[in-house]
Amino acid sequence: MAESQSPLVAVKVEALVVMKIIKHCSQTFPTTATGSLVGLDNEGLLEITNSFPLPVVETPVESHSDNAAPNPAASAPRTKANAVYQAEMIRMIREVNIDANNVGWYTSANMGNWVNMNVIENQYFYQKEMNERTVALIHDVSRSAQGALSLRAFRLSAKFMEAFKENKFNSEELQKSTLRYQDIFEELPIEIHNSHLITSLIHQLQCPSASGPTDLPPSLSALESSPFSKSSTFTPNFDNLSLSVDPFLEKNCDLLLDSIEAHNTETNNYQYYQRVLGREQQKINNWKQKRSQENATRAALKQPLLPEDEWQRLFKLPAEPSRLEAMLNTRQVEQFSRQVDSFVSSATGKMFAVKGNMLPGETAN
Amino acid sequence: MADSFLHLARPLGPVSVGTAPTTAPLNVVIQPQAVFSILDHSLRRNADQERVIGTLLGTRSEDGGEVEVRSAFAVGHSEAEDQVEVDMEYHKQMLALHLKANPREVLVGWYATASELNTFSALIQNFYSGQGDGTWPHPAVHLTVSTQPGKDLETRAYISAPVGVTAERAADSAAFIPVPYELRYGEADKSGLEAIANAKDTEERSTGITSDVESLERAIEEVISMIDRVSRYVESVIDEETPASTAMGQFLLNSLALAPKVEPADIERDFNNHIQDVLVVSYLANTIRTQMELSNRLATAQLTLGGGEATGEGNQRNQRGNKGGRQNNRPQDRAATEEARA
Repeated sequence: MAESQSPLVAVKVEALVVMKIIKHCSQTFPTTATGSLVGLDNEGLLEITNSFPLPVVETPVESHSDNAAPNPAASAPRTKANAVYQAEMIRMIREVNIDANNVGWYTSANMGNWVNMNVIENQYFYQKEMNERTVALIHDVSRSAQGALSLRAFRLSAKFMEAFKENKFNSEELQKSTLRYQDIFEELPIEIHNSHLITSLIHQLQCPSASGPTDLPPSLSALESSPFSKSSTFTPNFDNLSLSVDPFLEKNCDLLLDSIEAHNTETNNYQYYQRVLGREQQKINNWKQKRSQENATRAALKQPLLPEDEWQRLFKLPAEPSRLEAMLNTRQVEQFSRQVDSFVSSATGKMFAVKGNMLPGETAN
Repeated sequence: MADSFLHLARPLGPVSVGTAPTTAPLNVVIQPQAVFSILDHSLRRNADQERVIGTLLGTRSEDGGEVEVRSAFAVGHSEAEDQVEVDMEYHKQMLALHLKANPREVLVGWYATASELNTFSALIQNFYSGQGDGTWPHPAVHLTVSTQPGKDLETRAYISAPVGVTAERAADSAAFIPVPYELRYGEADKSGLEAIANAKDTEERSTGITSDVESLERAIEEVISMIDRVSRYVESVIDEETPASTAMGQFLLNSLALAPKVEPADIERDFNNHIQDVLVVSYLANTIRTQMELSNRLATAQLTLGGGEATGEGNQRNQRGNKGGRQNNRPQDRAATEEARA
């Protein structure tokens, strides 16, 4: 490949892109939104300077797994119509001096449930067809609503790309390539970057432009209507202090249960395969034994021997189900549990703080 | 916003009734994305350009009394002493592309990155508010965002009314009427703006994404510093160093009254219930993760040991239990080579 330079190490996202992604994703929430990212590749640092949403096209989805629900929005980045749209858009924005290199795509997620075939296939498509140095940005709408912005950048690892290309997901190949669920994605650190103008705008928005000492308000209503009482501080975001714990955990438990179910289905499939395989194997062995006995009697009677490898035609071994779904599921569960951990760490902190505040006497102990 | 506005629906110019856009009072709401787009465009202008322009898109409320500017895209144009050229073809194509992805948004107006209003502004304004491709019968919103270095960013919103004595002059004249605007961001944008605002004081103008605990820490620190500030103020009022204010006192008292009054026993009970829930969920989630990982490992691991069979050292595999999968490597291999030959 031409880009044999240093591998991508980090992603720098312009504030504009952050806002555009948030807008698009929250507008279409809870359906998945996808869009395209443009920017520059600056020696391992991928700078994402602009983005545009992709239209949803109703097309039949060709999917590696047939049970994936066809979701036109989620698969939008790799449809033909959108490749055309994207090319057209990039041609247009080049005219107004926007960096016109496609550097990836973004999608929305709900509670971290983004580990699925669609994401994999999209990113595979991007890394293979478009440009090897592309990323997927994942914006989690419902986690961002909890307070802290959740925006993450992922790429498929080289190992996984190779395995996915040849669809090598039976146990034997997995053993050979030692591909584990942790190796599917590579996460890249994200940095948010502001232009000078945006820095200036934010400073201006935050402090009401009165300089010097202000007069004390004459009355309560004057105070409440003054610009200071509703001055918009962006940072820190006090949504973080919200004490609602249950909805989040409940949702997470639901998702975990779904994952367990998916896991069970996978295991059952696999066990079924193993049972069938064992049975077939048993039959083959019986047949072989019979044949060799027969041949032994034939040899004793000096008759011509029967071929011993006919079983290959007589019996058919079942195909091993792909382990990919199971791997993805495990990756997904890992994602959920990390998410719960991170939430629990702040939730317990908040709860102890509240308790300490409400029962002042007890903190001393 | 320091500006205050007086809205007057004024009589129309000499244009025949029914073709002029309405000049009824209007409130403009701007979403931060649009402003960010405009600022980005301003940074990317050609070196010789004083200002750049672009199209504003958004939604209009049913009665037309409120326009929400949601996004913007740049349109190329060039200005000379006596003529202006706007790439209308580009505008149309881009608009079509944009509407494909955002079917709910409509054309609402245009922006320029200089506060100045001149003849060219009027010309462009008349194009945007015109019939056919323009916003007619709704008024087109013109947004100016001054991006002069060293000065405050100044945003103004206008709609226009036709003026001019004769029909020929009407094309390049318009009376710009300032309208109130408001920068409004939704709940969803908040977390994004927070992350962006984190970078405002750093030298390199960039920041990482903070984790839950980090942002919680920051929020708590901010609250503590606010409380400190207030108590310092109260102290100094008590010490009679600062003049007292009844309004301020009332406000603080109201805030204090917001603290809920709960029995300690109730708190204790709720706390224990919740903390147990939280910890159990965390524990379960991690257990599930470990279980699944283990189960998947086992499912593939038994074949590793079976994989040794090809070299004829498969003795250890028996300790793996008899799940049946392990004996099959060889036949499979053979079948595969058989297929390859065929």
